[in-house]
Amino acid sequence: MFNFNIKLRPEEKAAFALRELYEARGYAFYKMGRFEEYDFYADKKDFLTSRAVLTFTDINGKLMALRPDVTLSIIKRTRDIPGHVQKFYYDEKIYRVPRNANTFREITQTGIECIGDLQDGDICEVLELAVQSLHAIAGDRRCVLDVSHAGLIAELVPDGTDRQEILKCIAAKNTHGLRDLGAPEKLLRLVELNGNIDDALPEFDAKTAGILERLNSHDDIRIDFSALSSLNYYNGLVFRGFIEGIPESILSGGQYDSLMRMMGHKDSKAVGFAVYLDLIERSGKND
Amino acid sequence: MINIALPKGRLGLKVYKLFESAGYEFPGIMDNSRKLIFENAELDMRCFWVKPFDVPVYVERGTADIGAAGKDILLERSPDVYELLDLKAGKCRMAVAARNDFVDDPERTLRVATEFPNIAQKYYSGLGRDIDIISLRGSLELAPVLGLSDVIVDIVETGTTLRENNLVVLNFFADLSARLIANKSSYKFKGEKISEIMRRLKEHDKDS
Repeated sequence: MFNFNIKLRPEEKAAFALRELYEARGYAFYKMGRFEEYDFYADKKDFLTSRAVLTFTDINGKLMALRPDVTLSIIKRTRDIPGHVQKFYYDEKIYRVPRNANTFREITQTGIECIGDLQDGDICEVLELAVQSLHAIAGDRRCVLDVSHAGLIAELVPDGTDRQEILKCIAAKNTHGLRDLGAPEKLLRLVELNGNIDDALPEFDAKTAGILERLNSHDDIRIDFSALSSLNYYNGLVFRGFIEGIPESILSGGQYDSLMRMMGHKDSKAVGFAVYLDLIERSGKND
Repeated sequence: MINIALPKGRLGLKVYKLFESAGYEFPGIMDNSRKLIFENAELDMRCFWVKPFDVPVYVERGTADIGAAGKDILLERSPDVYELLDLKAGKCRMAVAARNDFVDDPERTLRVATEFPNIAQKYYSGLGRDIDIISLRGSLELAPVLGLSDVIVDIVETGTTLRENNLVVLNFFADLSARLIANKSSYKFKGEKISEIMRRLKEHDKDS
């Protein structure tokens, strides 16, 4: 046996800590190839954070893509097993154009996916794992998991011309903008919520409220409707994790049954999240 | 410590006055020195002047926790930040303007000169109009006068410069003013202080 007496970089340490966390909860390691056929992404561009996909031509002439996302590949390879829940975690490189960048970058992404006949307990577990993931990375720094609900927002935002503008305002906590766009009062109230789970419970349906109540003991979970993702794919709870000193969200996920439907899984539900480990090196001192 | 990015120039001075009257004062900031960073240890706050166009960059990347940016710049750059408050300073509008004698010919690609290519692109794709964007860094009035472009998309405050150059506004399409923006992560961990700043700026707005 080797004595692994080597100095690990912070993001490597974090990757191991997360592996340990997910394996202890019974999640199985999922290993994939680095490529997909380009066609696979053509009709799912909205799901990808950056629409650009890095492509190359394989020796048989097929147009291939270096994977810009892991979730889609896992869904594609999963078979529905009635009455069963499959739990995976992964640690992969993905290729994307980050916001405001003008070139592709290799990004290290770790995450979990929980797919199948989901019960409320499974959804709770994934949210708890999200909080624990943040703590595993943060050490003694503070962290926060902002939780929103895509279904609730979709209900309140009319599917008209202003929909994108309203969603942008929600993500920016821009209440003056929402007023100008004539958004419903309830939406304004949701955006102005102070984060406390108890105060927010009456706004949710009974099932979601039940899940949130079970998470109420976690002080780091806050209700914040600016934690928004694409309404086309997410339908239930969606969330984003922040760590003090890292300027953007390092964790993002949610329940994406709609995406499962779109990809031909009639009866399965799914929830999961991704952690962007390369952001760890960005954690500077901001005080 | 709360770090504040303020835009250099006229708008920045107006915004600083707002901060000052809300009780956030930074000694020496109005002296005509080359200093860029000003600290108020008592408030545990620091503020710095940056190019107006760069304010969202400082805030998005967390170097500044909050900042004041013109809505024009936010529309152009679409930074991933919170837009917490309309500071109502520096009110003006985004407009399309052209020469007095301009007649639009829908059979030709419209040549649009602007400092805001993303805003112009979005406006015209909403109208379904094919355009050729000419990206300039100021003195836009020259473009239609010299025939470089058919129209300009620019900020209009009083319209005096346009009139002096025989240009007219064809359409106003966005109201602009300074906005208080915040880094999303800072807002999570310095939220109380940021809310307090928001509250005091808002209160002052009511008084004035």
